[in-house]
Amino acid sequence: MKKLSVVGIIFLLVVITLSLSFQIRADEDPIKIGAVNPLGDITGRQSTNAMELAVKELNEAGGLLGRPVELIVIDSELRPEKGASAIERLATSDEVDFFVGGMASSVHLAQIPTLKRYEKITVWIGAASHAIEEAVGPDEDWYFHLHPWDYQQGASYAYGWKDIEEKHPEVQIDSLFLAYEEGAFGTDSYESYQEYFESAQEGEGPYADLMEDFSGVSFVSAAHGGGDYRAMLRQAMNYDPDLFIWAGYDADAVPMLSQVREIGFSPPIYAGSPPGWPEDFGDSPLAENVVFFGMWAKSLNEVSPVAQHFWDEYIAMHDDEPVTYFAPLGYTNIHFLAKGVENAGTLEKEAVIESLREIEYDSPVGTTLKISPSRIISNQGFSEQKIIQWQDGVQEIIWPFDVATSEIIYPYEW
Amino acid sequence: MKINQKKTSWLFAILFFIVIIVGIWDASALIYGLQRGSLYALIALPLAMVLGIMDILNLAHGELLTVGLYASYVLFINFSIDPLISTLPVFIFLVILGGIIYFLTIKKVLGEGHLPQLLLTFGISIMLIELIKIYWTTRPRNVYRAYASSSITIGNFRIGSYEFLYVFLAFAVFLLLKLFLKKTRLGQAVYAVGQNPRGAEIVGINVDLVYLFIFCLSSGILGLTAGVMLPRVSIFPLTGNPFSLISFALVAMAGMGSINGILLAGITLGIAEAVIQAIPGYGGWSDLVFFGVLIAVIMAKNIQEA
Repeated sequence: MKKLSVVGIIFLLVVITLSLSFQIRADEDPIKIGAVNPLGDITGRQSTNAMELAVKELNEAGGLLGRPVELIVIDSELRPEKGASAIERLATSDEVDFFVGGMASSVHLAQIPTLKRYEKITVWIGAASHAIEEAVGPDEDWYFHLHPWDYQQGASYAYGWKDIEEKHPEVQIDSLFLAYEEGAFGTDSYESYQEYFESAQEGEGPYADLMEDFSGVSFVSAAHGGGDYRAMLRQAMNYDPDLFIWAGYDADAVPMLSQVREIGFSPPIYAGSPPGWPEDFGDSPLAENVVFFGMWAKSLNEVSPVAQHFWDEYIAMHDDEPVTYFAPLGYTNIHFLAKGVENAGTLEKEAVIESLREIEYDSPVGTTLKISPSRIISNQGFSEQKIIQWQDGVQEIIWPFDVATSEIIYPYEW
Repeated sequence: MKINQKKTSWLFAILFFIVIIVGIWDASALIYGLQRGSLYALIALPLAMVLGIMDILNLAHGELLTVGLYASYVLFINFSIDPLISTLPVFIFLVILGGIIYFLTIKKVLGEGHLPQLLLTFGISIMLIELIKIYWTTRPRNVYRAYASSSITIGNFRIGSYEFLYVFLAFAVFLLLKLFLKKTRLGQAVYAVGQNPRGAEIVGINVDLVYLFIFCLSSGILGLTAGVMLPRVSIFPLTGNPFSLISFALVAMAGMGSINGILLAGITLGIAEAVIQAIPGYGGWSDLVFFGVLIAVIMAKNIQEA
């Protein structure tokens, strides 16, 4: 009997020791964040750099819930099938706790079915197409989208232009001409503006009282073998718009501006919305007074301590300047998620979702990030972009006025 | 495929008709088409030479143009050499690069049929693209020169003047090439090799040397073109890629080895493209019309030959 008791006590001790050691190991296991970014592209590369910076800061501050944070990055190569298989691998092989990343809508659209299969908390910083929102649907509470949707961006520009008109009476916008590249990006932009115009004609929507007339012409982007914009620019010149906008790629920026000068086109506002700018664009005289829409500019450092902190730390870690707004968005991606986990005090899904919905995060893009519903999904982050102008080689924020770093230079002259 | 002097009267007739109609309707479209078409012809010429004389399908054609653009860019950024001045060093650089590519790769697949050639040149194309990505990333780069935006004004008519350089260069290169082929011993040897390489070898012509010369010269012409293009374009790893397709289209339209035909085909397609782009609301149809004209001309040519 005595022998049995001794054996029983030893067995119990072994069980307790083993369970304790498993507990300790679980506490020391890192919290894994799986990121899918296009590493061959500057947006993906800089976003990943910024995510690494955020993870480093978290770990230096003691990690999350007392555990280290590990970032696992897979290159999507901007290919939809690669992006989808990356999610699969992160979920099964790496067993990550969360999904983060960006950028292209086409890639993210292919990832949605896989994300829906695993239903892990996902915080995405890119992919602006409303087709993503439709694919996600209204019932997926684990899905958080931080980048403004395409329709939100278009609306925010209208609010911006109206504010600018009010503050600067010399700025008058009644007619808008959109030059759009022939691909999905440009065509979507054109269709959005066309919808805004139809609503505006009925006195409704964000462009009411702003867009009395509208026209658009497509062009073949230099990124796809084009590069001769003169026929399109001539049509724009004949239309004589108050606001000229081109929706194309960074490869179009300089050749189009060069051809603008060639044909003598000088609209009062020359605006563009490329995902990025060519190397050293700011040093080119062609950049002067060009307006564009974006989420972030270096000049935000003057008005936002968080932006300045991000800028300094990014350069210190990577010895390179951030040039795309996907860098501060990548940083935001990790810190926003980490704050949600920290506030929840657990990795339990429902608690983290609730916590993320409550957060007000002061982000380096100069705007406080707060979750609110969009047209379909319930967890949308930012809802507006900024109006920025190249002035003396620097990107100056001209709207929203609370983070503005300069006044608009009007009209556009060269 | 042999180098030849095909009858191009039908192309002349089409082009003349188009020029008259378009000139009356919109003179700017005519000029833009002439400028762009000349550029297309200039880029397609080296492909036609390599295909017509060496019977090599070079899928790395566009990438050699891209290399030329980056070479000119590097000379501008590092040594402040104007792109127009850099045409000469870039020409020489591409001649040397062409020679290296020929010795290391192309020479091994001469006469091996088109499949090994396609696979080989496709591999070269991908390697060049990836190397450029590693060194310069995918971010576009530009060289701004004020003269590239210059224009001339006649009455109310304002037209860009820089791209007339494409027209001048295209005609100059075509003329010099024709003179070279007709008036020099090496040119005659090229003709002979293009017509019948085996026969040329029997009569003592160094066919290998002729092939090397043609591949180097065609690469050099791309270098020359790159220097002139640089102030007007954005450069990125895939800049030259679409020009491969355009070049193949022009060669198919002109007929293999037809030098006159390349120039005429380039201008014809350039004008057709410019006309469509000038019609409000139909700019997106330019590719459709470009390749529609190509198909129509090839079919018309076949009917004529039948």
